[in-house]
Amino acid sequence: MFPDQACWLDNEKMETVSAKNMESTNNDSVEFVLKQKADMDAVYELLCREYSLHETFHVQLKRYYLDSFDWRMYQQDIVCGWDVPNNKHHLKVNNNQDIKSQEGVFFIQNKDTGSSLYEFPFDHMPRFSKDISHQTCRQMLDDILGIRAFMPVVIMTVQRKQLLVLNKEHKTLAILQAERYTISGHTVEKCLHDRLIVFPIRGYKKVFKQVLQYITEHLKLPPAGNTLLDEALAAIDQTPDSNAFALTQRLPDSLTTWEATQILLRHLLNVMQANESGLRHAIDTEFLHDYRVAVRRTRSILGQIKHIFPGKLLDYFKREFYWLGTITTPTRDLDMYLLKFDGYMHELPPHLQNDLVPFRLFLERHWKVEHARLCQALDSRRYHKLISQWQQMFASKDMQSQSDTVLLQQTSPQETFNATKPAKQVVSERIRKLYKRVLKEGWMITPESHDETLHELRKTCKKFRYLIEFFHDYYPDKQISRLVKKLKLLQDNLGDFQDLCVQVDQLNCFAEQMRQEGLADTRTIMAMGVLVQKLTARKAAVRAEFGQRFKEFIQTDKKAAFSHTFSLKRTDT
Amino acid sequence: MKIVACYNVKGGIGKTATTVNLAYLAAYEGARTLVWDLDPQGAASFYFRIKPKVKKGGKGLLSGKKALDDVIKGTDYKYLDLIPSDFSYRNLDLALDDFKKSATRLRKILKPLNKEYDYIFLDCPPSISLVSENTLIAADAIIAPTIPTTLSLRTLDQILDFCKKMGIAHDKILTFFSMVDSRKKLHKQIIENPPQNVRVLKSCIPYASDIELMGVHRQPVCVFAKNSRAGKAYQALWDEFKRSY
Repeated sequence: MFPDQACWLDNEKMETVSAKNMESTNNDSVEFVLKQKADMDAVYELLCREYSLHETFHVQLKRYYLDSFDWRMYQQDIVCGWDVPNNKHHLKVNNNQDIKSQEGVFFIQNKDTGSSLYEFPFDHMPRFSKDISHQTCRQMLDDILGIRAFMPVVIMTVQRKQLLVLNKEHKTLAILQAERYTISGHTVEKCLHDRLIVFPIRGYKKVFKQVLQYITEHLKLPPAGNTLLDEALAAIDQTPDSNAFALTQRLPDSLTTWEATQILLRHLLNVMQANESGLRHAIDTEFLHDYRVAVRRTRSILGQIKHIFPGKLLDYFKREFYWLGTITTPTRDLDMYLLKFDGYMHELPPHLQNDLVPFRLFLERHWKVEHARLCQALDSRRYHKLISQWQQMFASKDMQSQSDTVLLQQTSPQETFNATKPAKQVVSERIRKLYKRVLKEGWMITPESHDETLHELRKTCKKFRYLIEFFHDYYPDKQISRLVKKLKLLQDNLGDFQDLCVQVDQLNCFAEQMRQEGLADTRTIMAMGVLVQKLTARKAAVRAEFGQRFKEFIQTDKKAAFSHTFSLKRTDT
Repeated sequence: MKIVACYNVKGGIGKTATTVNLAYLAAYEGARTLVWDLDPQGAASFYFRIKPKVKKGGKGLLSGKKALDDVIKGTDYKYLDLIPSDFSYRNLDLALDDFKKSATRLRKILKPLNKEYDYIFLDCPPSISLVSENTLIAADAIIAPTIPTTLSLRTLDQILDFCKKMGIAHDKILTFFSMVDSRKKLHKQIIENPPQNVRVLKSCIPYASDIELMGVHRQPVCVFAKNSRAGKAYQALWDEFKRSY
């Protein structure tokens, strides 16, 4: 299995374990790399001269390294995975040793030290943190993952052979594990370097040090410089980049409006495309959410940066992206209700909580229908045409050269007079206009105003914020972040209020729909009624907070600071 | 961190077997677990193949966390550690008596282990003493294994009285029937009519040769005979215990 004893003695490419490495091993395991094929029997023989060794098991595992789409675990220096026996009849266990792997093991390790944070039997691959019943582990995962799902980032086969270093009482003093890895799931199977891992046992530090010393001095094995996960990711050219979908390209002042817009729109298209597969497979709700945000931002640019697209072309894309937003809305709404469902249960007194269960079933049933509809729409010719036309827009630098687009052939220069102007000039003008609109709409809202007026202000704030965020490169960081912080607080209030308005209306509609579909008895309808009452009360409270939030936004922002930031004093011609 | 004391005045009723198996099951599920073998007979240490010896003896351990850290030994099982027994524990009462607030000394020195362990199991010696008082005060849960016989039930009453006198919350005491022989009529009768003055877990541990074989294998039953009657009984007991707390 691990052939060629001679390789253990090959010291050509040897490195030694540094003193620091040896000292830092307190309770952490130390991994050595077998640069060439080596024979575990050789280790066995060599160590047998010094210690009593016992082979406990020889097993083949399938290992799934898990992380979220945006690498949240990795960013926290945490390695997470699920091991499951690959083929049960390969399992060889001696003397009833403690082996959990027969049912699968979920583990979390510190990426830097390799120390085990959690490890427990788990018979299926977890999808969400809520699948984990281990309390403290679940808390940790909740904090890191939130509502994001686990996805396998690397799948590998691990052949593991375990040896115990024993004393006369047959007590384990240290554990040696020889592992061989093959990365699967790719066209060509990739093998990584074999590793020999030495685990200390608390209270037997001396033996651990002796074993390490023996391995480094006699076997001359180099320590692993990289974690196994990092090595595997490098082997499959995978880079854990949580900011992969953040706009990293800076927008220089020299760009024309068309050039800057093109960069932004291309980026948003990338975000949409990156999230499409995840939303189709319903891996977690964030894929659809991020997709929708990218669509909304695209629409916002189309609407706000005026006179850069020919009229007919603009009409076409505006209409089609509006359609795209619309077809994703029902699934997203149902996602939201399902995400909020546990919260809804807690809103109700305990004796009513179970009465709400049919509502969850109703939501799940409708979610399946709406999600299927959404996938159908994403498979439609209309969608493919939109994406392909949109991609063509960015195929070359100069929009006017997009002559293969029929709609562009009828372009007149008057329609696109902003395209060649400096982006900063056009954008600043637009931001100023939107700012004035936010103020105007905000001041007009009184306690008696219709709910719709707050919704309108919310939409304006969103457009305003998108523009500031898109073009933040043009303005001083400090001012922008202060402004956005206050704007965010105002938006939170407006967002909460709108959510509650929609929920109250929608829950009433759902109750009626459930009654018609025969899915709800009187108790469920009553429970939903109580829920609507609670939400209505909260809606009133949120609405009452608006005045104060708006006041804070106006006060902290101050017109002078704003004018300075966005150069209200016009310098353009 | 939860401290669980396995205690009874009587000896030979399965305290150590209970401690060792429950602690093993806790660690198996991923909980960081420590067993303190407080019994100078050192049966728990023997089961884990660890020498019943601690540096500076029992008195030295009572000085604080550092002293405990130095003697903790890893067992053969992941996340399961042990503070071994020591023959000097027979004089632990005297050592405790030297400290101010002697009845709460154990609780005080265990407190700093809070971040390191999810469970600490105390395998108590069979006596009523200052050590017992310390363990009962330190514990969040007290498990008193009881053989379903008249005398054992009488002992259980004595324990309850003792706890009451010390002001230990009654709801942290629970019992279960141990060494149950289903062929015995008295055992059956008592199990069917359990005492009403204390929480009694439904899971019973049978009188089984597998439990005696722990001494031969020097392993928890749940390792070498996981699917045996005894192995399943300990699993059921552990599951029920977790639900109860």
